Amino acid sequence: MTDLSLAASGADPAIAGARAPHRRWLRRTALRLAVYGVPALLILVPLATFLVYSFWTTVDGRVVQSFTLANYVDFLAKPVYRGVFTGTLWLASIVATTSLIFGYIIAYLVWRLEGRLRYFLLLLSVIPLAMNYIVKIYAMRNILGYNGSLNWLLVHAGLIEAPSKLFIFNQTAVMITMAVIYLPYAILPIFLSLERVSPSLLAASADLGGRPGQTFRNVVLPLSLPGSIVGALFVMVLALGDYLTPQMVGGNQGFTFGRAIWSQFGMAFNWPFGAALAVVLLLSVVLIILVAAAISRHARVK
Amino acid sequence: MHRRDFMTGVTAGLAGLLLSSATLPATAAPKELRVLTWEGYADEPWVKAFEAKTGAKVKITYTGSVDEIFAKMTASKGEDFDVIAIETSSYKRLTQEKLIQPVDLTKVPNAKNLLPAFREVSAIVFDGKPYAVPFAWGSIPLIYDKKAFPQPPASWSVLWDDKYKGRIIAMDDANNAIVTTALLLGYKDPFNLTDAQFAEIKAKLLDQKRYVSTYYAGFDDGVSIFAQGGVDLMMSMGEPQAPMLQKKGVDVGLTIPKEGAIGWIDCWAISAGARDPALALAFIDFMLEKQVGTYISEKTGYGNTTNADANAAIGLTYADKLVFLQAPENFARRIDLWNEIKATPVE
Repeated sequence: MTDLSLAASGADPAIAGARAPHRRWLRRTALRLAVYGVPALLILVPLATFLVYSFWTTVDGRVVQSFTLANYVDFLAKPVYRGVFTGTLWLASIVATTSLIFGYIIAYLVWRLEGRLRYFLLLLSVIPLAMNYIVKIYAMRNILGYNGSLNWLLVHAGLIEAPSKLFIFNQTAVMITMAVIYLPYAILPIFLSLERVSPSLLAASADLGGRPGQTFRNVVLPLSLPGSIVGALFVMVLALGDYLTPQMVGGNQGFTFGRAIWSQFGMAFNWPFGAALAVVLLLSVVLIILVAAAISRHARVK
Repeated sequence: MHRRDFMTGVTAGLAGLLLSSATLPATAAPKELRVLTWEGYADEPWVKAFEAKTGAKVKITYTGSVDEIFAKMTASKGEDFDVIAIETSSYKRLTQEKLIQPVDLTKVPNAKNLLPAFREVSAIVFDGKPYAVPFAWGSIPLIYDKKAFPQPPASWSVLWDDKYKGRIIAMDDANNAIVTTALLLGYKDPFNLTDAQFAEIKAKLLDQKRYVSTYYAGFDDGVSIFAQGGVDLMMSMGEPQAPMLQKKGVDVGLTIPKEGAIGWIDCWAISAGARDPALALAFIDFMLEKQVGTYISEKTGYGNTTNADANAAIGLTYADKLVFLQAPENFARRIDLWNEIKATPVE
């Protein structure tokens, strides 16, 4: 607190002039060091640690600190981990696509509204972000579960005779739950990219005789799509690292890469291999973010 | 607060600390025993009693995982702690890394209180020397819905029964799944499996996957899924899940099938870097008082190793039917096998 207030007052020329410039420089450097240094220390150091770990190995339950690529070779050589990795990538891209489609529809409908209602509904659609993620999974399990509300509804409506297990503990459940949990993350960026479409362009399209459908196809969609895809990629990154949702609603099909990483820790004590798997995951996340960055740069040039 | 004031404050504080630590030995500070343990294993009543008896001060550090225990112990070669509590299968690694020292049982008079099942636990004996003293135990039992089973299922093979397909849940744990299957298959040593046995267990567990609705992740997760309905059987994570389910209104029973079940024992061990091994021994001796064992069973619902009546009162009468965990031949191989099973699609 002291630092911030001093820095702020230092900007005032009347006071700054009275002080030795090198002290001000010192203070600024200290402030900068704190602002950049602390996050760097707390984020980069742990990352570097597991990167280093991934090149070590374990022998008889002991970590051997000599450089080796064995863990990465293992990842490529063991079909289990390769398979789970591609399976998880596939799952994440399906979740991203679903979020893109539904997120777009919702964001579009909200965007079309006028005045206060628009932002009120936008707020409503992102409120789930404030909820604990585990609570949301449990909530979804209560809806989809054997004695869940969905089954209760279907049984009471006379559509099925006994509760069905079709909605829980399978891939469908994973996709529904993940799509619901990550939808708000897609809605926000999609809404923002729709907001950036200038109203004058819509008016011009209408003036030139474009029907609403044509305006949407030829003006709104092309302008808002890059931003929306970036939103979907963001969802994909989140889904890629999420192993809890598949574990909790996916039943015997809920095994994902995150859980494979998890399994190398604890009693297994295979931190180096776990770290290598984590590096693989991190690299794919970085790759996705790079793609997203390229898309948004491309869109901006246009 | 101004920065200079702050700095003066810090300096003064540091000086104070230095001073106090410098004067501590001079004033003959009470001996300190540093305990690294799980929540519930060093509760106030008997820690206070121990302090009163010995005049020592007990400093307890709670841990949440085996990883954490190893991290804390290896960080200082055990110098930061005098006594730790950990489960039997970790002792191979602890002794390999020389983090603990043997326990001289002649200096633990209360060792005579140990129930027969806990007098010769091979997992904690290395080179003929005991390295720990059993304290609390439990099992990986089968929990069943009494509506579906008027009589408890006799064998683990019920987890491969067509009748209960999709109505079974199992815990997501490589070693427990593999050892329990090895018990069902009648293997003599479930902790040192041959290649052929590995292959057979893999086939068996893959076959079981068709019957398992889900692999649950933890105590509460298992209870919550079971209580949601549609489940008749659960390879459980431990005894406390049964009363938890009862509380949720599910009438469940708990059984140790005829093939036996996994047992675990948390034991007290003395760190290699213990400052005062005699005090550590005194603490371990105190933990083997029958009242402590009684309290453990009444409070945590786990078995104790000294009072058979307290065990019987909570239904833990089957210690002799359990196969206590040992360090397996190759943990990484077991993890890979389990991951492979979870990754293989069935039907």
